[in-house]
Amino acid sequence: MNLKELTASLTNAVSVGHLRSASDIAKQELSRYAEVSDFGAIGIIGKISNSADKTIMLEAHIDEVGFIVTHVFESGFLKVAAVGGNDGRLLPATPITVHGKSDIPAVFISTPPHLAKKTDEAKSADEIYLDTGLGNAVCGIVSAGDFATYRNSFKSLSGGTVCSKSLDDRAGVACLIEVAKRIHDKPLDCNVIFCLSEQEELGTRGARTAAFSLDCDEAIAIDVSFGDAPDIPATKCGKLSKGAMIGISPVLDRRISTKLLSLAKGNDIPYQTEVMGGATSTDADVISISRTGIPSGLVSIPLRNMHSQCEVADMSDLESVVNLLEAYILSGGAL
Amino acid sequence: MRELLKTLCSLSAVSGSESELRDFIIKEVSPFAECTVDKLGNIICFKKGKSPASKKVMVDAHIDEVGIIATSFTADGFVKFQTVGGIDPAVMLCRSVIFENGTRGVVGLKPVHLSKADERKKLPDLDSLYIDIGVACEEDAEKLISVGDTAVFESEFELLGENNVKAKALDDRAGVSCLISLLKDESEYDFYATFTAGEEVGCRGARTAAFGLSPDCAIVLEATTAADLEGVPEENKVCCLGKGPAISFMDKSTLYDRRLYDAAINSGLLCQPKSAVAGGNNSGAIHLSKDGVPTLSISLPCRYIHSPSSVASLLDLEAMRVLAKEMLKKAASGEII
Repeated sequence: MNLKELTASLTNAVSVGHLRSASDIAKQELSRYAEVSDFGAIGIIGKISNSADKTIMLEAHIDEVGFIVTHVFESGFLKVAAVGGNDGRLLPATPITVHGKSDIPAVFISTPPHLAKKTDEAKSADEIYLDTGLGNAVCGIVSAGDFATYRNSFKSLSGGTVCSKSLDDRAGVACLIEVAKRIHDKPLDCNVIFCLSEQEELGTRGARTAAFSLDCDEAIAIDVSFGDAPDIPATKCGKLSKGAMIGISPVLDRRISTKLLSLAKGNDIPYQTEVMGGATSTDADVISISRTGIPSGLVSIPLRNMHSQCEVADMSDLESVVNLLEAYILSGGAL
Repeated sequence: MRELLKTLCSLSAVSGSESELRDFIIKEVSPFAECTVDKLGNIICFKKGKSPASKKVMVDAHIDEVGIIATSFTADGFVKFQTVGGIDPAVMLCRSVIFENGTRGVVGLKPVHLSKADERKKLPDLDSLYIDIGVACEEDAEKLISVGDTAVFESEFELLGENNVKAKALDDRAGVSCLISLLKDESEYDFYATFTAGEEVGCRGARTAAFGLSPDCAIVLEATTAADLEGVPEENKVCCLGKGPAISFMDKSTLYDRRLYDAAINSGLLCQPKSAVAGGNNSGAIHLSKDGVPTLSISLPCRYIHSPSSVASLLDLEAMRVLAKEMLKKAASGEII
């Protein structure tokens, strides 16, 4: 699979809670190039060992935002709660897959005009219902505690852009696997760990325990960040197709950021900087304070419509991220 | 009927850009009826029955659907647009759209992370929305689409359980599928079928079609709001999935002919009254044509109408077909009007 096919395959699969079809694909692909272990709730770990003293971890989260069923009505409707950050404004009439005893389609209801009192007021996920169209048969298929995810499949837009659910952060996962593919048969001065962590969307939980378990010397988190759009100030986002976003922040190790910048410049890899005044809201925040501290960097892919069923990214930015990380590993890291 | 409905829903026909669907319908029904296309793009069909009709009946369904139309581009290559027909911004956000030439886009929205608490509670104005087609400048956007191009929201036709479907454009591909079926079946009496354009932008096609035909009576096949949702009080449901087609006694544009309404409700066939004075359809134009046309409206109950994920029952659709056929026979025989 090339990078785009891999991204499509990963985003069309699911990884939320105990559902792990995306993890299974990632595990299978990564195991072609690295020694893979599955740590369940922590995530999937791939190792390329060279008996070197130094170990660099590349990390991306495998989980996605979704929903969890809180109540099943005999009328065929469900109440759900959000799993991860969620925007209630874009839910009405959105197709959803409910992962019950079998996977079934459903749609979030939209309030008909004659019942909408204030038409411009948005509701949250736990205030609206999911319609399975099943009537009381739903009770035999769906139970409270079952998960649900966006039902949209991977599609291409014009140019190199693509649209899908869960590009946050399967785009990062795809980049990591592509990096493993490129470096696994090259001479390296370091060991490389590929960490695909769980539960980022619930508060960077998987990366916390994974970083503790793996105890590496330096780490780079690969995640998505905000891409340019007409309703976002240009100062608060990266631009699609302009390359890898290199993070600079007090919580990130400046030596790593500087190394990434110089590698991008030296190798003509498209890049842009993303400067943050503190927390990055990515796994880098917790990895960097694991154990006695792990110097950490952050490389991001600009993404539009984050946490929606139609996230939009440019494949050329994923390529830039892969090129940059490959150069970083081949250079032996920053420390 | 399900396969036909699936094909009809998968075709695009935003008001004013109905040619793809029109061509399909003509191909489908021309072996069974004489078809002509009028100046507004309506298909007018004459179906020869076993006997001449005592009353000239026009059975109508509209071919157009709601959608969007490109109005301008931003310097960064985003497409500004307006809706064609009424669409709630809530059902457009972060959905993919597809233009007539196959160009795909996404209606974008600032992510929740960057939205302030008050912004998250309020739906954005239609005017603030934009479509991302994946290009970086106005010139590149203009190579792909032109202002005036229309698009529909992408939506798979899917079964929800055994009997319900989820699709775009059930309004009014439901009516179109029934009408095609009536034309393919043998008919007791001669009748006219009209597949009309431009309903969603003011019942335009129906007005001229009715004038041209001068029917004695009309039957409008439609889709209407079903609000039979969990938590909605009985009196606000309008109509319910599974209880058959909804028969209108009055809506915002028509006070229906009582003889036709009573005949449908008392037919003994599965149907339900549309229990709200809400919405409107081609009946509004048809019943005021010339010196007036007694009109009956038979509608498929449809949840989330005008959204890309409308939900309706295939059993209701079949019941609608049966009732329409029966009412056509009775109206054409002259026993009601």
